[in-house]
Amino acid sequence: MKSLEQLTDSVFYIMAALTEPRHGYAVMSLIEETTKGTFVVGPASLYTIIKKLVAEQLIQLHDDSDSRRKVYVLTDKGREILLEDIERRKVMIHLAEQGLQRGNI
Amino acid sequence: MLDKRYMISDGLAFFEERDMKKLSKKAAKGWHLKRFRFACYELEKGDSEEVIYNIDYRKLRATEEEEYFELFAYGGWTHVCSSTDMHIFKAAPGTTPIYSDAESSLDKLNRLAKPVNLVASVALAITIFLWIFMTFTSGTIQYIAQQGLTYSFIFTVPAVMTSCGVYYHMWKNLRLRSKYE
Repeated sequence: MKSLEQLTDSVFYIMAALTEPRHGYAVMSLIEETTKGTFVVGPASLYTIIKKLVAEQLIQLHDDSDSRRKVYVLTDKGREILLEDIERRKVMIHLAEQGLQRGNI
Repeated sequence: MLDKRYMISDGLAFFEERDMKKLSKKAAKGWHLKRFRFACYELEKGDSEEVIYNIDYRKLRATEEEEYFELFAYGGWTHVCSSTDMHIFKAAPGTTPIYSDAESSLDKLNRLAKPVNLVASVALAITIFLWIFMTFTSGTIQYIAQQGLTYSFIFTVPAVMTSCGVYYHMWKNLRLRSKYE
């Protein structure tokens, strides 16, 4: 998976939502609510990404007692990757914020 | 008047979007997709409806089906019909597309490419084999090979074109992606 080194926004949002056990449907609504609908993940994209993350062992099945709503959660490896990507994103934001502050003086 | 009608696909590999738009237009006129098989959509007469259609290619295990269709339902997409590993959904205009990012829609094309390329390679191999046979034999065998070659084109040409179609979309997709990144 190419996006492993650099998570795409969709993958990042999904992994962020799965820091706590959630089913796919809850992941979708959490992203929609948090971003006030400015970022929406389509069902086929979500399903594809969940399957990939499971295959890459970044998330794992937490509870499959309800086959309609399988619950997933981040693995330790997934946590590590997410933390790395948070740092990468922080650098971007830091650069932009500092630049803007200096520009204000 | 018959309440059933058929619509021939223009070839999903090349014209997936065009097919889906045509289905939307038909639905607006009251002809709704009922099922599809091979390259043929079966439409049924009903009330006029404003809907958009999307198609997904995915091999689903029995244990995966419920979760898969549930996600689509939650995303606003109603499952219309499936044929082998192809699934067609409909939704109200303006619904987020089933594929919302470039990365996973490229994965969709990769999944589609596998069986398509397999069929194209087998068809191409048979054609080449028949052609070699035709060139190096004579008499009845040559005649049979010649006839076989003619018929094999009926399969090989569309199969290879379908393959090209998939690659064309992949290339388009990659170009789009590099534009946004």
